[in-house]
Amino acid sequence: MSSVIATTEPKLRVRDLHKSFDTDHGPLRVLDGIDLQVQPGQFVSVIGPSGCGKSTLFNILAGLIPHDGGEIELDGQPTTHLRGRVGYMLQRDLLMPWRTVLDNVIVGLEVRGVPRAESVERARVYLDTFGLRQFENAYPKALSGGMRQRVALARTLLPDPDILLLDEPFSALDYQTRLFLEALLVKTVEQAGKTVILVTHDIDEAIALSERIFVLSGRPGRLKTVHDISLSTRSPIEARRDPRFSGYFDTLCQELDIQTSSQMEHAA
Amino acid sequence: MSSTTSSLRRPVVPPAAGAASQAGRASHSSGDFALMSSGASSSDASITSALAAKPLRRSWTRRPVLLVQLLIVALIVAAWEIGVQRGAISAFLFGSPTGVAKAAWQMSLSGELAEHAAYTLWASLIGFVVGTIAGSIPGLALWYSPYVARVVEPFLVAINSVPKIAFAPLVILWFGTGLTSKVALSISLTSIVALLAAFQAAKDTDPDLQKMMVSLGSSKWQVFTKVVVPSSLPHIISTFRINIGFALVGTVVGEFISSKYGIGHVIFVASALYDLNTVWVGIFSLMILGFVLYAGIDLIEARLLKWKDKTYAPSFQM
Repeated sequence: MSSVIATTEPKLRVRDLHKSFDTDHGPLRVLDGIDLQVQPGQFVSVIGPSGCGKSTLFNILAGLIPHDGGEIELDGQPTTHLRGRVGYMLQRDLLMPWRTVLDNVIVGLEVRGVPRAESVERARVYLDTFGLRQFENAYPKALSGGMRQRVALARTLLPDPDILLLDEPFSALDYQTRLFLEALLVKTVEQAGKTVILVTHDIDEAIALSERIFVLSGRPGRLKTVHDISLSTRSPIEARRDPRFSGYFDTLCQELDIQTSSQMEHAA
Repeated sequence: MSSTTSSLRRPVVPPAAGAASQAGRASHSSGDFALMSSGASSSDASITSALAAKPLRRSWTRRPVLLVQLLIVALIVAAWEIGVQRGAISAFLFGSPTGVAKAAWQMSLSGELAEHAAYTLWASLIGFVVGTIAGSIPGLALWYSPYVARVVEPFLVAINSVPKIAFAPLVILWFGTGLTSKVALSISLTSIVALLAAFQAAKDTDPDLQKMMVSLGSSKWQVFTKVVVPSSLPHIISTFRINIGFALVGTVVGEFISSKYGIGHVIFVASALYDLNTVWVGIFSLMILGFVLYAGIDLIEARLLKWKDKTYAPSFQM
């Protein structure tokens, strides 16, 4: 699939991105020349040891913090950030307890001034797909963790963002629920043709979901390697049965392990 | 309080979406979608039933709360009355239940009690409402500018640490002996509490939630109105209860110092005359006023915070 669109213009291109934070002990370099390229409709993952600046990268892309140097291009157009054009989803579902399921889902359209009737109509498509329609008037307190994260996914998708930024969205869920939501996510973004960047600690999840994996090194975050994943299926459960799966798994584990041990040498 | 919500009965089954119901649109009919759909209907059904489920039956809900409460009141009154009858308690210094009842009856018949109670209720209610609004709005607004908040904070703490009752004579001088001075005293007590509570609540607003809204394209004003204000509301409302008490204190102190009306005035005059029974009528009237105002806040809370779990009973056995 990626080979077909490899010739087209990338959806997102990040070049030589730098970021450091001021601390009491002087500047702390968090991102040190990150390069990423994501094709339209591609599902990519970013993995790396903790502290490699994955969340900082997302915060910059989402327009929550400025970067110090480097370029971001969306559809070939240089831009400083993607605020309002990305769907940003975190490990925490961040549902507003004072809003019903329906009102939580439409909040992204609401801030854009879309008329409520239109938002509701569009939201119901997702609520139906995600099996949430009968709970649209329930408050989040009545929902289970998996249902809440489905609501969060619907909220993320509804404003039709150019790019989905998923920051470990399923890591707080139990394994069964996670497998289910992974399948739902892959299916939904594939149908809608969304570009997805997933940050995860879970190598297994990254391989099962992604077409390409960017491996970052530890602090300061640098792009270490890029792996193209090609499996016979896009279904996350089937993918885990693919004979090539364990090969990818071993390679990525090794890379992260090597980083971990070299990090320890640095620290020592 | 027995309206325990369904969240206590969160189903343990993994949630499953009806995604598979859209199987027709799936370009890749892989096995796992079908697998999921089998679990979907049953688990969703159990969640629906949980939403409509009755609260957990707990022993304390079946025990007669009101009956025990009335019994306690009856016991105290009886002990007081018998004590006075037997001469163990001085009727001169403590009054007696029958004397209190007589005084209350007479004051009710003459309309005197209702007049004074209405005066106190009115003054403290205006003080409470104005003080809460005058405090909460700037308190929330301080969220807007951390710089202004930092400048203002020590002043707020300083004002808050002064016992506001110390201003009472000054307030009477400025606003006279009428209703205005009582309202002003109540406002001075309530507004600062409301301000500090609202500011703290606004500061405590979940930063991730604000981030999420910004990434969706929200303006600062939208983050304020759609996140900061609603998430602060429970804290603001919980200070209503404290402030109802403060509003009554402000009014009654104002009435003590200089007034022609109000329950505070009744208590002040009666105690100067050693009419203990009337003093008790005043004190019990204030209790009833407090009760009524609390009930009003419960109504407001139930209406504004219906999304919250209202029970404070544990959802587990201890």
